[in-house]
Amino acid sequence: MSDRAHYLFPPARAYQLNRCLYAIKSDATFCARFLADPAAAMAEMGLSTEEQAGLSPIDRDALVSRGAHPYLVFMADLRLRMAREPGSLEYF
Amino acid sequence: MLVGAFACAHTPQLLVRPATEDRDLVLRVQAAFARVNARLAALELDAIAVIGGDHVEAFFLDAVPALAVYAGRECAGTFGPYRYRFPIHEPLARAVVEQGIERGFDLLYTQGARLDYAFYVPLHFTMPAPPVPIVPLHVNVYLPPQPLPRRCYEWGEALGAILRARPERVALMASGGLSHFPGTDRYGSPDFDWDRDLLERLAAGRGRELAALTGAELDKAGNVELRTWITLLGAVGEARADVYCYEPSWHHGNAVVEWPL
Repeated sequence: MSDRAHYLFPPARAYQLNRCLYAIKSDATFCARFLADPAAAMAEMGLSTEEQAGLSPIDRDALVSRGAHPYLVFMADLRLRMAREPGSLEYF
Repeated sequence: MLVGAFACAHTPQLLVRPATEDRDLVLRVQAAFARVNARLAALELDAIAVIGGDHVEAFFLDAVPALAVYAGRECAGTFGPYRYRFPIHEPLARAVVEQGIERGFDLLYTQGARLDYAFYVPLHFTMPAPPVPIVPLHVNVYLPPQPLPRRCYEWGEALGAILRARPERVALMASGGLSHFPGTDRYGSPDFDWDRDLLERLAAGRGRELAALTGAELDKAGNVELRTWITLLGAVGEARADVYCYEPSWHHGNAVVEWPL
């Protein structure tokens, strides 16, 4: 375990990547497009080949090393799982 | 008038439970929420001012406010099949913005940002019937650099003074915590000892000590969201916490607390 903070200032170079994670998390229309055609949705967001490889399927460490915010990775992943397997959850 | 003060966990697994979560634990936290619900109903409130740490929902990187007030007519958010829409107590929200600025806090205000689950998960379980309007108060917890704990405490002191001078009966609710590390390699190992020590200090009325914490200490303990509690502590001063529950799951220290005023 390092002394590095868990949440860091998001580097500007990762803006598009974080924007794509945010859209998966918070924009149901984009999330549906991503589920239907990840490559097209990621291209729409202007992600690099390396960023696309880390996002589909989600590779947290690869994304975070490229400047993705860990929380956005976490919740984008959860939202995708909620959309793919809605029956696996208990709703209160 | 400030007539009630509460803090609630808001982890989404309490609302939407995957198979990874212990159902009995979830129900125990919900039972603590039910106690808050009963208390809020008994307080005959005009408004609930909820201090939440936005999960990059209301505010993306286009603009990251340290402290913000939602001062629109209503506020809405969605989570899977859930659709939330809460009326805002406009006069109170506006008073908090105007008087907060007057007191030297450079607040951002919004009349249209989305509502984050930090707000609606606790309200899903605790909102009294009939529902009362809310005032969402934002503290940046996840996007460094976050406001200092000391600044949060000072904002809480000002907020408490503003609310106490108002005619409405208002409850404050801090949403968040305790220890958890979402999205990091420490997700499975929160610092429950840190949480238990914290709750002992709060039960003893030593909340003021939290203003001296550093941002690095909060990050290390998985308690970046504690800034919402520290804000509330500024408003309630030396009040002693009544800990309704502390339920550590495999990834989260779930706490529900009241400060009887």
